[in-house]
Amino acid sequence: MARFAPGDPVRVRPGAKPGHVRTPDYLKGKPGRVEVVLGAYPNPEDLAYGLSGEPGRVLYKVGFRQDTLWPDYEGPSDERLYADVYEHWLEPGGEI
Amino acid sequence: MGGEPAGPIDKKGHEPEDWERIADAVNAALGKRGFQTTDEHRRAIESLPNYRDLSYYERWASATEKLLVEKGILTKVEIDGRAAEIQRRWEDA
Repeated sequence: MARFAPGDPVRVRPGAKPGHVRTPDYLKGKPGRVEVVLGAYPNPEDLAYGLSGEPGRVLYKVGFRQDTLWPDYEGPSDERLYADVYEHWLEPGGEI
Repeated sequence: MGGEPAGPIDKKGHEPEDWERIADAVNAALGKRGFQTTDEHRRAIESLPNYRDLSYYERWASATEKLLVEKGILTKVEIDGRAAEIQRRWEDA
């Protein structure tokens, strides 16, 4: 069951987690918006250590405004970067 | 790279060397036979202490070696012994 739906504002959880993670550092703590619910997949953080990765985690395509990611960004303010982020790395966010 | 400055990007294309093709093929074969997964390989690559000193496929080969040893499929002694043997054959040829 997906916790978030397309259009929902979310925030990537800040901070480090020990072990292997697929969430890029530059997105930690950043606000974004769910674009697509991609479905559940085995958790890569467990697969990385030879575990089954089950139960699957819901993966989302999340859009981030470029000017929230890069301090010296000079492009259009509505331009977005899209990244796939697992549900356990997301929390509800405010409007962006 | 890793959120840190990495200098200019080299955009020139290049032909893979033979050993790089072999590194790729060995990796694919090990995955197909269930000896390792892409996620394990990525984790092994990112945990290489000399990551920044290695080229792309040097990372691949080092990570594959690390996983095979970690899983007890080969030992470091076996791998180093075989590498030395191949080196000798190469130099004699």
